[in-house]
Amino acid sequence: MLKSHLNFTLLEECRKCGACYEVCPSCIALPGYDPRAVIKDILEGSYEKWLESKHIWQCLECHHCLEMCYQHYGFEDAMTAMRTIATKKGLYPPQIKRGWAMFEKTGRLGEPSKPGRKKYGLPEPAKSGGDEIKKLLAILKNDTSGEKADKG
Amino acid sequence: MKEFAVFWGCTIQARFPFLEKSSRLVFEAFKLPYRDVNGFTCCPEKSLINNVDPKAFAVTAARNVSVVDGLGVDLVSPCTGCVSNLATVKEDLLHNPGEKAEVNNLLKEVDKEFTGEANLFHLVPFFHDQVGKNIIQRKIKKTFAGMKVAIHYGCHMIRPSHALKNDDPMDPVKFDDLIRWLGAESLGHRTKMMCCGQGLDRVDQHENALHLAREKLVELKKIEADALIVCCPSCFQQFDNNQFLMIREGEKIYTPVIYFTELLGLALGLSPEELGMGGHRVDVGPFLKKWKEQLDKAGPSEVIDTELNVPGALA
Repeated sequence: MLKSHLNFTLLEECRKCGACYEVCPSCIALPGYDPRAVIKDILEGSYEKWLESKHIWQCLECHHCLEMCYQHYGFEDAMTAMRTIATKKGLYPPQIKRGWAMFEKTGRLGEPSKPGRKKYGLPEPAKSGGDEIKKLLAILKNDTSGEKADKG
Repeated sequence: MKEFAVFWGCTIQARFPFLEKSSRLVFEAFKLPYRDVNGFTCCPEKSLINNVDPKAFAVTAARNVSVVDGLGVDLVSPCTGCVSNLATVKEDLLHNPGEKAEVNNLLKEVDKEFTGEANLFHLVPFFHDQVGKNIIQRKIKKTFAGMKVAIHYGCHMIRPSHALKNDDPMDPVKFDDLIRWLGAESLGHRTKMMCCGQGLDRVDQHENALHLAREKLVELKKIEADALIVCCPSCFQQFDNNQFLMIREGEKIYTPVIYFTELLGLALGLSPEELGMGGHRVDVGPFLKKWKEQLDKAGPSEVIDTELNVPGALA
C-alpha cells in the first residue's frame, strides 16, 4: 500500500541522512516526535503501529525539510503518506473529519461572516464555486469506487 | 499593472473580516486594479484535504486557478496558505502533462480549463515586487521610525520555493524590506523563521499549538518587540487568539499582533478604527500609544528628509 504513496529509493537515502531533523520545528519543540523512526519502520515494513499515533499528525507542513533536502524529498512526504493511509482506515482527529464534511458540503471550510461584513462595511461576498466542487467530488468518488471510468 | 482577482480564502472571510477590510483599504489607497470574482472555493487547505484525498486537493486547486486563467487576470491573496497550495498544484501540473490532462478532463465537466497562465502572488511579495519601494514611499504619510518590530514571515509565504519562487526560502528578505521602507526596525531573533504551529490546533492538539506559540512569544517579550507583524490569517489566529487565551490563564507574555495591511494602512494615514483593529483579541493600544509618542517627537531632520524626497528637489 505504501509503495504507491512513497518512493522507497529516495526514502532509503533519507534513512542515511536525516539532515532535516535539525530544522524541523516539531522535532525541536515536541517531545517524542521523530520522523526518522517512522521512516525506518516504513522501510522495514512495520509502519502499522504509527497509524494510530498522534505523532504522524504533528508534521506542520512548513516545508523546511523539503527545502533542506538534496533529493527535494523529506519527512513531510513520509508523514503525508502515513496520514493518508490512516485517514482511509478512519483513524484521524475529529477536526479533520468535521473539516472534510464541511468541504464536501460547501466547497469551503467556513462561510463568510455576515455580521462581520456588516460591522466593517464590506460588500456582499462573491459567489462561491461550491456546486462545481460538489459535482467534481461526486465524479471522483465514482471513479475510485471503480464503478465506471467514463469521461463523458 | 495587470488586473488581479483577490483570493480571500475561508479563514479571513469567516473569522477575521477586519483583515479583509484593511486589505481593501490599502488596495484602494494605491488605486490597484483589484476585482472580486465569483467562483472561488477553499484553496484547498493542504493538511486537511490532501491527507484525505490527494486527487480532490489537486482538482480543487486547479479549478480555482482556472477561474483566473479564464478571466485573463492575475491572483493576489492576503493568505499565505492559499497562495502556497494553489502555486504547488499549478507547478505540479505544469510539469506533469499527463496529470494536467487528467485534471482538465475532470474540469471539462464544469466547463473549466486549467492553463496555469495566471500569476499567483501573496500580498507581501506583491507589494514588494509589483508596487515597489518608490510608489510605497511616495504614498505614505507617517513612518514608523523609532518602532522595533518582529516579523513573522509565515512558512507558506515563501515555501515551497520551487512553486512560489519569490524569495530565499530559508533566509528571506522581502517582508523585512517592506517594514524598513515604512521606517520601522526589523528585529533579528532566534525564532524568526520558526513555524507558528497553528496547524496543531487543526488536528486537536491545542496544548502543543500553545507550546509552539509560547516559544516565540516568550522571546518577543525578552527582546522588547513593540509588535509582531504577520500576513497570514493562520499565523494571526495563532499569535492573537491563542496569545489572548494564554494571557487570560496568567502567562506573562504580551506582544500586540499587527497584520501587514494594517501597518501599511496606518502609514497611509488611515485610523485604527477605519482599519478595524478593534477586532483583535490582544490589545494593540500600547503599540499605537508608543507610535504616537515617536511621531510627536520626530525632529527637524525628518522634515528636511521629506522635502529632499520630492521629485526634482535636487535638480
